[in-house]
Amino acid sequence: MQAEAQGRRIVLEIFGFLPVIIFVAVLIYISFNAPNFLTLRNLELVLMQSLPVVLVCAGLAAVVMAGGDDVVSGGIDLSIPATAVLAAGITAQMLSLGYPLALCAAVAFAASMIVGGLNAVLVTRIQMTPLLTTLAMFVAVVGVNNVVTASRRINVDHPWITVLRAQEVGGVPLGILVVALLVAVIFFALHQTRWGLNLQAVGGSRDAAEISGLNVNRFIAQSFILAAFSGFVCGFFILARGSGSSPGVEDNLMLEMVLATFLGAAFSPRRVVTMWGAILGAILVAAISIGFKSMGVNVFWTGLIKGSLIVLVVAFSAISQRVR
Amino acid sequence: MSDASAPTNLLINIILRFGFLIVFAAFFALFAFWNPVFVQGGNLMNIVEGSAVLMILALGMTLIVATGGIDLSIGIALDFGAAFAVVAMKSYGLDWFGAACAGVIGGSIVGLFNALLVVGLKISPFLATLSTFFIGSSVQRIFTNGGGPISHRRMPEEFRNLALGDVFGVPTEAVIAFVLVVIYFIVLERSIWGRRIHAMGMQRSAAVVAGIRVNRILILCFVAAAATCAIAGLIAAANIRMFTPLSGFSYLLDAIAAVFIGAALHSRGRPNIPGTVMGVLFLGMVANGLNLMGLNFNTKDALQGIILVSALALAVAQRKARNG
Amino acid sequence: MGQSAFRLSGITKEFPGVRALDDASLEVLAGEVHGLVGENGAGKSTVIKVLAGVYQPEAGKVEVDGQLLSPATPANVHAAGVRFIHQELHLVPHFTVTESVFMGQERRGPFGLAKREMRKAAETFLRDTLGLDVSGNRLIRDLGTAERKLVQVARALIDGDAKVVVFDEPTAPLASNEVDIVMGAIARLKAQGIAILYVSHYLSEITDICDRVTVFRQGQTVGVFDNITADSAGDLVFAMVGRNITDMFPPKGDRVVSDGLQITDFTDGQKFAPLTMSVGKGEIVGIAGLIGSGREEFVDTLYGLRRRKMGAVSFEGADLTITTAAQAVRSGLVLVPRDRRHDGLVLSMSVAENVTLATLEDNAVMGLENRNAARKATLAQVQSLDIRPPNPDAITRLLSGGNQQKVVLARWLSTSARIFIFDEPTVGVDVGAKAEIYQLIEELAGEGACVIVSSSDPVELQGVCDRIVVMTRGALVGEMQADAISVDDLVAATTGASSVEEIRNAS
Repeated sequence: MQAEAQGRRIVLEIFGFLPVIIFVAVLIYISFNAPNFLTLRNLELVLMQSLPVVLVCAGLAAVVMAGGDDVVSGGIDLSIPATAVLAAGITAQMLSLGYPLALCAAVAFAASMIVGGLNAVLVTRIQMTPLLTTLAMFVAVVGVNNVVTASRRINVDHPWITVLRAQEVGGVPLGILVVALLVAVIFFALHQTRWGLNLQAVGGSRDAAEISGLNVNRFIAQSFILAAFSGFVCGFFILARGSGSSPGVEDNLMLEMVLATFLGAAFSPRRVVTMWGAILGAILVAAISIGFKSMGVNVFWTGLIKGSLIVLVVAFSAISQRVR
Repeated sequence: MSDASAPTNLLINIILRFGFLIVFAAFFALFAFWNPVFVQGGNLMNIVEGSAVLMILALGMTLIVATGGIDLSIGIALDFGAAFAVVAMKSYGLDWFGAACAGVIGGSIVGLFNALLVVGLKISPFLATLSTFFIGSSVQRIFTNGGGPISHRRMPEEFRNLALGDVFGVPTEAVIAFVLVVIYFIVLERSIWGRRIHAMGMQRSAAVVAGIRVNRILILCFVAAAATCAIAGLIAAANIRMFTPLSGFSYLLDAIAAVFIGAALHSRGRPNIPGTVMGVLFLGMVANGLNLMGLNFNTKDALQGIILVSALALAVAQRKARNG
Repeated sequence: MGQSAFRLSGITKEFPGVRALDDASLEVLAGEVHGLVGENGAGKSTVIKVLAGVYQPEAGKVEVDGQLLSPATPANVHAAGVRFIHQELHLVPHFTVTESVFMGQERRGPFGLAKREMRKAAETFLRDTLGLDVSGNRLIRDLGTAERKLVQVARALIDGDAKVVVFDEPTAPLASNEVDIVMGAIARLKAQGIAILYVSHYLSEITDICDRVTVFRQGQTVGVFDNITADSAGDLVFAMVGRNITDMFPPKGDRVVSDGLQITDFTDGQKFAPLTMSVGKGEIVGIAGLIGSGREEFVDTLYGLRRRKMGAVSFEGADLTITTAAQAVRSGLVLVPRDRRHDGLVLSMSVAENVTLATLEDNAVMGLENRNAARKATLAQVQSLDIRPPNPDAITRLLSGGNQQKVVLARWLSTSARIFIFDEPTVGVDVGAKAEIYQLIEELAGEGACVIVSSSDPVELQGVCDRIVVMTRGALVGEMQADAISVDDLVAATTGASSVEEIRNAS
């Protein structure tokens, strides 16, 4: 019995790592077929490309950690990409009207906090499911952003924003450094502080957290605020990446966010949604997108590939959960 | 609780209990006041006709939500229905009926795929149908070379009449929607299958113990819902004499909102057909009314999104107050 | 020893329709391990919640360490040094040992958390105080159940202020070799001068570890026993069960038993070892066993809710393949589940909807419901089972436990089922409905059905069954004729106080 259980566990472990193995295999395949894929320059491009996704993933990871990783009843925030686009839209529009950057950022920040606060209130007070709440919020926020920007593309050439893309510090693009710093701060808050551990406890087992005297709703509300903040910061990277705000980024961002975050769970040693997993997921997804592009695969296929990846990753983790 | 707060609570209770009806009436009065055209018979018929496609999609969504799941891919089923029908007529020269059948079959493929993911691979309906959404979108891009519409100007008159014809003066699409509403009402609210669907949606474990074959029901419901959405696709294609890729997505959130508003209106919180009809008509009324107010497209969009979030929150709060 | 660690006296606690505690008292002395025993519903968990400050009693005093707490609240009880080890583990599976021990009471260092310090403290505490050598970096889900239990204990005691620890059924989910780990930890705590209240169904553990034992019955303290030895089990059982329990059960009819259900080498490969048993037509067979004995898993697997690994099931000689509950129902095998609010009923549906859920076709024409027929059929069941309120449209959520159970029964009685499994048929059911349910079970057997009654209530099993099989810790350990044994014997067998052979030889 003992040996049999041991064997089953090993099989399970391998099973759990299958998504990672598949990913690595795909990357190896790409690097054989696109010779310049594994160059330093290209890896930098991958990182730059993944920055907005990394940011929203960090926010989503916090919400999932506080709400539990059941997609329907647990924590999820689909509105982060919309918040990001709104922050970008407000900033771009106000800049084009000649307001100073600090004021633009302040207004964008306030708008983001309103979105996060509304999410928090609807989920903790009215007890709407996070999925429904944030999906509806996504649509409402995108609608508001279309009013702000009149659905037009707005160019931004403010030096403080282009600097995120163009400036290099010690050979590393400034944008990467800023995101790395931010991620480090959020990581520290989530994993190295009492607050972060308690937040994880709330998501891991509501009962356990309540018995330990933690205020469950407070942590859930805070996670939505943190998520909105990550969306706010992401807004500036959207501006930097595209040299301005453009409508329609949010759909793709939402897909990549969900994919990367749940993919990340398969990468984490504890098999749960974590910051590192989500970030790694975001970078891998960007790598695969760029990889296929440099192989000359038609961009129309990306949705198919990403959708299949979600199925693969989630099916494997569902199966290994069930067998466990 | 002190006695002083009792009257306030009573007021809040009244608002919460009848809140949605009050809001419905208030909006109606507001629109009528703003633009008297709103209440004219012709315009009310416009609302009904304009809501037909959403109505049909919301029926499919009600079915899936009644099983305890959610379907984010109803738009894809709509697209597939339209695409299969248009291609059947244009490239294979089928008559209108053959084309309609082809469209429904095309939509059903989407439902089968969902069923495979949810029942076969045990992926949660949210992630499964999200994957279907991305895969389905990508497939459309691939076959239309990036999303260009397939137009068919010499569409058979009978097919065109699905959208533009009338039956004794009532627009055909409204008639189709009405017939489907009746069928769905009978199946979901008056038949033994509906009883089983509701039982598994409300308390799956109890339904299993009672001997209900939940997996079979899930498969049938996903296919039936997708086939229904494909009918909406036929109407959409007939309307503009072409298939526009990725056009179904825009209905998704309204359909979800209509179903959840309807469920919240039910005395026991069940998703139900009369409630869904109410929800669809409310959304249709808001869209029409905002149009008549002469707002620009973006503002109207944003207002609609905000009203939607508020209506959902109100409906959920209302149900909570009633049961609490 | 000798000084009072805490004392509850004259406690009365009422719930709507039930007096859960009736002038009950309980005193634990400093430095002792004190046992608390009683049957289900005797008031053990209520008295613990009174001590915890969760329930406010209608009458009575709570004193801790000589201080009167009025009223006792969770905060001041905790401040007085009383700690509770709940039956449920309440741990986050993907947390480490250290994180779990310090959950909600993390220590801060100069840079965020003092992770190293906490890990050292957790490891030291687990090793020195509880006798468990485990790395603080292990994940909870990789630990055995006993180890998790000790992590739970460590979380309650790590602040070092504990004077009294209440263990509520700590060994219920444990395998026998794991029980020793928890027992060892309790002995260590006692050696450190901590007073312990030990609540358990397992009398062999009680007599092993306790210095004194209080017995509850029907909300009252019926005895406090000093000088506990291995021979005390008999006295404890006598006090627990009491003596007036006869007319609850219908007389056993003269039934002709013929070949019916045969279960051979049946196992799920995890929670219970291969077992073989038979249930004749017209026979009532009981399954006795405490929580964690594998009894519940066996029932679920038989009904197709869990996957079976091997074994055969046949009825009247014909193979009965059951892999899903739907198959079971169609084969005429039905289950009255133990958790009726979760598995038995769709609570937000009406009585009629629940009663007809398995027989929808009978009241329908071409798939369309004939609501009148369904209502009529339900009304007939409602009247014959005396379900109250006698209204088919009442929402089942609002019915009492006994009436809810009757709704489940009504559903299966409407089918043509031949094999009935009752899992904890009378948990949360009032006395009147209990007797009616027993009567019904007897009638079913009289009509030639195979009946299995799985229960943790020995009185019920002895009273209603013809034959009883006993499961302990995942194995079927023996079989007894119900009329050849007493309730005491059955309690002794399930709690491990004596073996089935001993009982059979004695009778």
